[in-house]
Amino acid sequence: MKNMRWLAMLLALVMVAAACGSDASTEDAATGDDDAAETADDSGDEAVEATQGGDLTFHMITHSDDGPFWSVLKRGAEAAAADVGVELVWQGSNNDAAVQAELIDAAVAAGSDGIAASLPNVDAVAPGLKAAVAAGIPVYTLNSGANDFQELGATTHVGQTEVIAGNGAGLRFNDAGATTILCGRQEPDNGALIERCDGLAETFNGTVISEFMDLDADQAAQEAAINAALAANPDIDGFMGVGPVITMSGLRAADALGRDLVIGGFDITPELLDAIEAGEVLFTVDQQQYLQGYIPVILMYLENTNSNTLGGGLPILTGPGFVTGDNATAVKELVAAGTR
Amino acid sequence: MSDTAVPDVGNSDANAAAAAADAMAATLAGGADERLAYRGVFQRLFVRPEIGAIVGAAAIWAFFWAVSREFGTAGGMSSILDVSATLGIMAVAVSLLMIGGEFDLSSGAATGTFAIITILLVKDVGDLGGAGLSLWIAIPLSLLFALGLGWINGMMVERTGLPSFIVTLATFFVLRGFKLGFSKLIIDNLTVGRISEAQGRGYEFWEPIFATVWIRNEHQLEARDAIYTIGILGGLALLAFAVAELNFARRDKLNPGGLPIFGAGVAGVIAGILYMHNSDGVSANSIAAAIIGVAGLAAFVGFCMWRYERQEAGSLQLDASVSKLLAAGVIASVLAMAFAVVFDVDSQEPVLDLVGALRWPFVIAAGAYAAFRAFQKSAGDSNTQSQTLINVSSIAAASAFTMYAFMFMTTEQGLRSILFGVTMLAGLILLAIAAGNAGRNSPITRGLVLTVFSAVLVALAFFIRSQSASVKFRSELFSVLLVSALVFFVWAVCSTMFTQRRFQEAKADGFGTTLAQVGGAAIAVGIIIKLLFTTQAELDAGIARAGFRISILWFLGFSLFATWLLGRTKFGSWIFAVGGNKQAARQVGVPAARTKTQLFMIVSVAAWLVGLLLAFRLDTVQSVAGNGLEFEYIIAAVVGGTLLTGGYGSAFGAAIGAIIVAMTKQGIPSARWNSDWRFAFLGIILLTAVIANNFIKTKAEESR
Repeated sequence: MKNMRWLAMLLALVMVAAACGSDASTEDAATGDDDAAETADDSGDEAVEATQGGDLTFHMITHSDDGPFWSVLKRGAEAAAADVGVELVWQGSNNDAAVQAELIDAAVAAGSDGIAASLPNVDAVAPGLKAAVAAGIPVYTLNSGANDFQELGATTHVGQTEVIAGNGAGLRFNDAGATTILCGRQEPDNGALIERCDGLAETFNGTVISEFMDLDADQAAQEAAINAALAANPDIDGFMGVGPVITMSGLRAADALGRDLVIGGFDITPELLDAIEAGEVLFTVDQQQYLQGYIPVILMYLENTNSNTLGGGLPILTGPGFVTGDNATAVKELVAAGTR
Repeated sequence: MSDTAVPDVGNSDANAAAAAADAMAATLAGGADERLAYRGVFQRLFVRPEIGAIVGAAAIWAFFWAVSREFGTAGGMSSILDVSATLGIMAVAVSLLMIGGEFDLSSGAATGTFAIITILLVKDVGDLGGAGLSLWIAIPLSLLFALGLGWINGMMVERTGLPSFIVTLATFFVLRGFKLGFSKLIIDNLTVGRISEAQGRGYEFWEPIFATVWIRNEHQLEARDAIYTIGILGGLALLAFAVAELNFARRDKLNPGGLPIFGAGVAGVIAGILYMHNSDGVSANSIAAAIIGVAGLAAFVGFCMWRYERQEAGSLQLDASVSKLLAAGVIASVLAMAFAVVFDVDSQEPVLDLVGALRWPFVIAAGAYAAFRAFQKSAGDSNTQSQTLINVSSIAAASAFTMYAFMFMTTEQGLRSILFGVTMLAGLILLAIAAGNAGRNSPITRGLVLTVFSAVLVALAFFIRSQSASVKFRSELFSVLLVSALVFFVWAVCSTMFTQRRFQEAKADGFGTTLAQVGGAAIAVGIIIKLLFTTQAELDAGIARAGFRISILWFLGFSLFATWLLGRTKFGSWIFAVGGNKQAARQVGVPAARTKTQLFMIVSVAAWLVGLLLAFRLDTVQSVAGNGLEFEYIIAAVVGGTLLTGGYGSAFGAAIGAIIVAMTKQGIPSARWNSDWRFAFLGIILLTAVIANNFIKTKAEESR
């Protein structure tokens, strides 16, 4: 009996290991193939012309989890590398700051010609990036790090700041003639989401009510909470969801109550694009992460080959870009192509 | 009532003993058996595990009804039930498992898992997966996955002997990883959609089963309010007769003298209702209400005279234990009304800053404490009544301060509501305690205190009618208070006049229970009709749209099924047995391992059902769907009276617990409070519920 138990546990372990292993390897293989194919094709075209750039190797080291968001960013970086004919090493750390720090140290040691890094956890990666700056390697930050890049000595930051994104959304709501907006958050205590609502309140001419409306993990409760907030306040004539899922919950709640709201959202999902195309949602804020991959590679190239720097010590903003009824169909095709 | 199969309380040993006793009662129950003491209707209700949850649900509903405009409306109810439905199905299943002594931390993630599995099975995406199956295959197949998950959880817990907390924590992480991993692997997206791609492959058949919405505004029924009124009034009357039947001793021979009084009373009530229906205006309504009140009292007393044994009323004994609490209750009520008059109802002026806020309640609490100490000294004793007074007033002061400081009711208007509400409630509680104590002295003493209680309610009703700024309070709360006053007065009269039954009597118990069930059903029908239908007048007034989802029916059905399973089947007794003491259960022949595995399978099948409800409702499901919700299920089960240690609890209670959690979630946006405080509020509810349930359980064990 005791043997049986151990055997069962062992079997379970092996199965789990096998499942994880096959999962990871197939994924790597899949993406790996793509990369290989792409770079092979492109470098085939470019290798002849690229004389200076061909010797350069850039590292883009981020907290990427290889999800849909990051895969678009990665495609941007790869496209830029192909366009200018440099070699790009893409390294994601799946939100593990320690891994990211090691990768940065390794890139510095390998004598990289340019490092672009995201800064979800500044303290972990700061020593490595400072060492890179000290070694004369051009350093750029992307996606997150707008407040910290200067201190590290990075040339500039390419990304979107939450407050500015909210500002842009506020102007859109002004144009649409809304007077009171419910800014629904899908997390109670995420500072970035609160900043989006604060940014909205800065430029919006009317009232902004910023409230937590339950988690994305519980969409039914999220919709019901928005429903209650709308019913309790008849003045609300606009809704902004600071994520794509809560934006759709807001649309459903408004429909259920028969209320006609001006709805804006954040980020892109297929169903949100459909709703924008159908005219049910006015816009969504797009931080255009393709640019966050593309631009740093170009900037590193120019700094290496022509000693140019851009930004004047200020961050370069990739957002807010807006997807509205005018460009939703085009964006949809680009999403399918993997560049939005 | 499930007296025969489900013991009310205790661990498995007590359960076994109780079950034996109940079985004996059932065999002996040919007629009145005087050897078996009868605990009385309220005592019997009091020991049910779900009673705390029911009282709590009513209190929370009433609270949010008072502070928000949504809770009393059909739209508000539809949102509450909407959230309760999916939460409740899981909470009920989880409560069965918890009664069986185990946890399932994978239950939340499992709901999303089965939604995603079903969608991926019907999706046609080519090479990697997404089989493009018909829903007729995908739905049973995902059910098989669900049964498999439950079986694996159960087997691993049984075979390894590890706590289910750890084993299912592991399955939680595995499911979470699978959801993310497979979603990205197969469709390269965290949003998994759409189940509507199964159009032509069974979608048309299954969609209505899981996603029908009853849009209230599209269903008119002009007779709605009549049905509602008849249902509520008739149901309340039946409940009153049921309480009488369960509580009073029957006469050996019926007394025909009561019948004319009963008949006259009934005629009076009908006349009063007709008069109210055919006339208009406040004064006519007051006359009609007075007629209905007096006639209702006569009808009920007549009925009791016809059927039940009279008793000696005894002599009036207002000893310190009663008089002190009675006086304090009346003083608090008067003080509450004084607060309401003194403070300006329209003033939005912030009266006190936060430092001042600390001062006022402190001064009030200190003053009250000093007054009661002095009172206690002059009475020359240090008995429990003084302690009660101090407890009630300290709790009142603390709640007032809490509301003031944490709910930001810092205007003069807010302070007025707090002081009035808290002081009034404290007064009523003191009077209720006084009535309870008075019962030990003599029937007439209790009758007198109940009459005072009823009089205070009448005074309160008219006070609110004249003083309140809210139409809702002036009309609805006014009527509710008057009806409650009538109920308490009728009870004052009848409990004085008639003998309480001391022994079990199968016939009376059966009849009383049936009456109570019919009465409850009538009230339910009245409320359901009112919720489901609208009238032309409402539509003309532009009432907001409200929809009721079919998931509510699934919730109801599943709760009834689980209650039946737990209360009426052998499997139900096994659940209590394995949760109470597994070794002992094994030794008496309960298949413990199998029972627990089946419980895990019930939970995962519930997760499968909830997953399908989500998938059809949302069309697309997030890969994070359900993650972390397992704790809400456990909270709902615990609030509903299920013990964390197993062996005690109620599926019905868990359903009510789910409604409580849903109300706390919905109440904060409805009342337009700051959502930052939501989790603090949920924590307070949880703590209060656990303390109350524990108190009730202790009392229940004492009364055995």
